[in-house]
Amino acid sequence: MQINIASADSVIIYFSNDISKQTSLIVKSAYEILKAENNKSFIEIIPSYNSILITYDIFRFDYLNIKEQLEKLLHNIHIDKNETKDIINVDVYYGLEVGLDLENMSEKAQLSIDDIIKIHTSKIYDIYAIGFLPGFAYMASVDNKIAMPRLENPRKKIPKGSVAIADNQTAIYPKDSPGGWNIIGKTAFELFDKNLESLSPLTIKNQIKFNAISKDEFLSQGGQL
Amino acid sequence: MSGFEIIKSGIFTLLQDQGRFGLTHLGVTNSGVMDEYAALMAQKMLHNDISSNILEIAFSNVELKATQNTIISVTGAKCEFFINTVPYSTWKTFSIKRGDIIKIGKITQGQRLYLCVKNGFDVEKEFGSNSTTVKENLGGINGHQLKSGDFLAFKRYDKPFNYKLKDQFIPRYDEDELVLRVVLGYQDDTFTKEEKDKFFNSSYTITADFNRMACRLSGEKITSSVDGIISEGISFGSIQIPKNGQPIILLKERQTIGGYPKIGSVLSIDCFKLAQRKVNTKVRFELIDIKLAQQKLKDFYSLFK
Repeated sequence: MQINIASADSVIIYFSNDISKQTSLIVKSAYEILKAENNKSFIEIIPSYNSILITYDIFRFDYLNIKEQLEKLLHNIHIDKNETKDIINVDVYYGLEVGLDLENMSEKAQLSIDDIIKIHTSKIYDIYAIGFLPGFAYMASVDNKIAMPRLENPRKKIPKGSVAIADNQTAIYPKDSPGGWNIIGKTAFELFDKNLESLSPLTIKNQIKFNAISKDEFLSQGGQL
Repeated sequence: MSGFEIIKSGIFTLLQDQGRFGLTHLGVTNSGVMDEYAALMAQKMLHNDISSNILEIAFSNVELKATQNTIISVTGAKCEFFINTVPYSTWKTFSIKRGDIIKIGKITQGQRLYLCVKNGFDVEKEFGSNSTTVKENLGGINGHQLKSGDFLAFKRYDKPFNYKLKDQFIPRYDEDELVLRVVLGYQDDTFTKEEKDKFFNSSYTITADFNRMACRLSGEKITSSVDGIISEGISFGSIQIPKNGQPIILLKERQTIGGYPKIGSVLSIDCFKLAQRKVNTKVRFELIDIKLAQQKLKDFYSLFK
């Protein structure tokens, strides 16, 4: 673990130099420890793949104090690999009219579209980070067989609800946005909803399972083509 | 109802406050006033709570009609400012009577002006804040900038009140070169001594790519030994160095995580000054150590405690 200055009132904690499930579990445990402190002087806590950024109240902590405090709090992070997490099921319509890159991926990966769908829905994904857009969750790891680099020419507009792949990561676009990920399907699942008390149904603690549904089911859930 | 009828909204007038906190883990940005000095001075002059809401006005041609008595304060960018066609200078409070028309004409120096009323506007907060973030459709009135025809309610206030800030506390926004103090941090070890020397000894220019999210500069190219990093949390004021070597300073509506290497962060209190500078202004970076930087921030916020 290494703690660096991020700005005059924030520090960043690095837990490793790589992206891995092990690192992600450490970040999640550390995030829980920090949140459980319920310390008002921790103004913002942003977990990501291998780090946590903390903005703190400089009237309560100076840099050396906060560093010492964080080292004390996080010196022994316990990971429970068998911890059961809330699995959220996301229904996806993997049709060609919404899965804009399915045909292209099928060609590149030398797999049938059915195989791509089968592989994408066969795993339960962990959330490694949330950001870029509110509710945009970076999930991993996608099976190597369907891992795809980002598009050379990003799209100006990716429709809300698009389910996408970039390298070994998968994600859902919470709203219309420019982007360069490969689009394989679409969901009616809301990732950022002002009517929810929590704003988003996802946190880094959740796991995601994708389920393939038919066009009719998608439409009946309020999905739009 | 007592309040302001928005006769003309201007192109980009936002209801703001100190920002929306505690949701960055979901990707929701902090938002908040771009120039806290001007905004907090406006609140202080009215003895308002520092978390009160305020209008941030970035373009001219704003016209408000009061339907009840109140007091307002106006700070920030220099502008043509009128009450019922009588011109006044700003950085002071004004007693407003029912029926008065407040008008903001041309902005002559600076980029944003601030207008608040005694005890703030009665607008329901969204997720803890009135700050408008248009791209997230949060805060303000229905998540967007003010529109002509909107109504901003306030509670009637009749007591006489007169406060004018001393000239020495009124900043100028037109010096030849703005100095931005920087604490090194994040990936500063991926920049060699030569690169850091270049960074601190060159003059940069503010480009047109400057908004509430970030300010892109142009000038001497700076190179990090890495092209990208694993995406991580981004602080207010942090300086990203993308592959083209041109610094980007991240501001109030920055994205919460990102993958460009960062050399460190501009002091928040200097970002407030930056918020008032026009395109093509020269800026220069100056190193400050963390201890002194924290003292400067404390000095600043102690003014408003």
